[in-house]
Amino acid sequence: MWDTIIIQPMTNLLLLIYDFLGHGPHMFGLAIILFTILIKVITWPLNASQVKGAQAMQELQNDKEWQAIQKKYAKDKEKIAQEQMRIYKERGINPFASCLPTLVQFPIIIGLYQSITRALSATPFDMLKLARTIYPFQNVEGIIPLNSTFLWMDLGRPESIQVLGFALPTLAIIVALTTYIQSKLTMPASTNPNDQGAQMTKMMSIYMPLMLGWFALNFASGIAVYFIISNVLGVVQYAATGRANWSNLLPGGGQKKSSAKK
Amino acid sequence: MNTRRLLLFFLLALGAIVLSACSGGPLANNWAGLAADAEHAYLASGSFIYAVELESGKEVWRYPAKADGKLLFYANPVPTSDGQLLIGSAGAKHPFVSLDPATGKEKWAEAFTKSKGGWIGSPLVLNDTIYAPNADGFLYIIDMDGKEAADPIELGGALWSAPSTDGSLLYVTSLDHRFHVIDPAVGETNEPIDLGGAAPSSPVIGSDGVYVGSFASTIEFIKPNGEHEVIAATESWIWGSPLLDGKTLYYADLSGKVFSLDLASGNQNWDTVQPDGPVVASLLIMGDQIYVATEAGTLVALDREGKTVWEKTVGGKLYTTPVISGDLILVAPYQAEFVLAAYDAAGKQAWTFAPEK
Repeated sequence: MWDTIIIQPMTNLLLLIYDFLGHGPHMFGLAIILFTILIKVITWPLNASQVKGAQAMQELQNDKEWQAIQKKYAKDKEKIAQEQMRIYKERGINPFASCLPTLVQFPIIIGLYQSITRALSATPFDMLKLARTIYPFQNVEGIIPLNSTFLWMDLGRPESIQVLGFALPTLAIIVALTTYIQSKLTMPASTNPNDQGAQMTKMMSIYMPLMLGWFALNFASGIAVYFIISNVLGVVQYAATGRANWSNLLPGGGQKKSSAKK
Repeated sequence: MNTRRLLLFFLLALGAIVLSACSGGPLANNWAGLAADAEHAYLASGSFIYAVELESGKEVWRYPAKADGKLLFYANPVPTSDGQLLIGSAGAKHPFVSLDPATGKEKWAEAFTKSKGGWIGSPLVLNDTIYAPNADGFLYIIDMDGKEAADPIELGGALWSAPSTDGSLLYVTSLDHRFHVIDPAVGETNEPIDLGGAAPSSPVIGSDGVYVGSFASTIEFIKPNGEHEVIAATESWIWGSPLLDGKTLYYADLSGKVFSLDLASGNQNWDTVQPDGPVVASLLIMGDQIYVATEAGTLVALDREGKTVWEKTVGGKLYTTPVISGDLILVAPYQAEFVLAAYDAAGKQAWTFAPEK
C-alpha cells in the first residue's frame, strides 16, 4: 500500500526526470535537486500554512491578554483551556494549523527519502526491487543502473573529502549548517521567558542539525543533497514571506526587547 | 526534564529509527553468496561467512567471530588451488580478505583495502593472480599474498559479476551495459561492447566465443575480436548466466521462462517451460538434470527435453545460484527459516543449516 501510493510514484517521477536529463554522469544529482524543488513547490501551500499557523501561535505567546490568563488561572487548567479556546475563536486562530501540515508532509519526506535510496540500488536485491517499482512506460533498460556520480561524490555512498589525510565529511557539515540556519531564521523572537513553545523550538534548532548531520555522515550522499536543497528552499520560502528573522543568526540575536503587542 | 522535552526526544528518536530503517546505507541487504569444495560449503550471508560441513550440515567456523555492522558479505567466496578462500565485504567497510578454508583464520598479513566500493562480484584467479571486480568500476589485480600486483583497470560502471576466462583473456561485464575483453598483459583489447542493458552475471565461455545475458532481455554471442550478435531474445530481463551444455544453451528470465537453444541451428529446442516464479539464479547442470531455482522458493530438476523430473519447495526466495559438491546440490534460500540446504540428485533433502545466534 505505502509502496504503491508513495514510493512507486515518487521513484518513477525521480527516474523520469533523470531520463529526461539524459541519464549521464552528474544527472542523478541534478534530478534529485529538480525533484526536491518540484516537491517543495507542490507542498508550498502546506508549508505556508504551517508557517502562518506557527507564527500566529508564537505571537499569541507574547500577547499580554494570553499571558494574563496563564497567570490568573495558573491553578485551574480547565479554565485556562476554556479561555484559550475563546481567544482562538475570537482571533480566528487554528491551534493545529502549524502541526497538521507537518503531519501531512511527514509521509512525503519519508517517501522521498525511500525513493532516493531505492533508485540508487546499492545491491542486486535493491536493483531487483527497483526493477519492479518502475512503471512499464519508462525506459527501464536504458536508465538502469543509475549513474550515481555527482560532482566529486558517489551519491550511493556517504561523502567525504580527503584533507591532509583526514576524511572531511563536507556534506554532513553543510547539512548541519543549513539545517541550523533554517531553524534559526524561522525561530520567532519571544519575550516570554516561560514560553515552552519557544524553548522547544530552540531545542529543535540544536537537535535537528545534529540528527540530519548524522544521517548525512552515515548514509548515501544523495540524501544529503536532498537535505541541503530542501533546507535552502525552506529558507528561500520563509524569506519570501518576509518573516525571516535574520537577527537570529547574529550572536545574542533573537532576544526581542520591545514590548509585546496586544 | 519536562514532558515536552521527553516528547521531542521521542519524536526525534522515532524519526531516526524510521529513516534508518528505510536507508540503503549500512542496513543494505542482499541474498547470500555460495561456494563449496570437497569438504565444506561456504556461505557469505550478511555479517558472516559460514563454513558448513557437507557431511553433516554443521557449522565449522564463521568469519568474523563477532558481527561488525560495517562488514557485509554477499559475493560467492572463491576457494583457490593453493588453499585460500577469497572474499570481500560489500558493507561500509570493504576489505578484501583471504581466509584459511579449514579454520576461517585470515591468511594475509593485511587485507586488501584499496577499493573505493564494495565487493559484490567474486574474484577470478588466473596464473597466480587475483582479478577482483569492484562496485567502484575498477578491476583490481592482486597477487596471492594480497599485495597489489598491477594498477587496477578502470572499466567504468559497477562490476557485480566475476570475470570469466578462456585461459588467456578475461571477459568482464559491467553494470553500465558494457562488455569488456581484457588481455592481462596489455589491458582492454577492444572498445567495450554495448549490450543494451546492464549485465549483472558472468559471461559463459564457449569454444569460439562467449555468451552473455543482460537486462536488454537478450543473449549475445561475442567473439574475442569483439564481433558480436544477438542470438536470442526473451520477454524479460536475463539476470543469471546462461548454461552451456555441448551445443545447447540453457537460460531463463525474470518472467520465469526457461529456454533451450540449439546453437548449431539457432532454433529453440523448447521455450515452454515455466516453473512457479521468476528466475534470477543461474541454471546448473549435474548429470542429465538441469536445476532451476525460482524466486518462489522452488528447486526444479528438468531433463534435457524440458520435462520436470522433480521439484522441491525449499522455502524463502531462491536468488543464489545453487552449487554442486559431490552428489549434493546446495541451495541458499533468502528470507527463509534456514540459510542453506542440501539435496541429493533425487531431490531428497540431506540437511538444512540455520546458524546459531
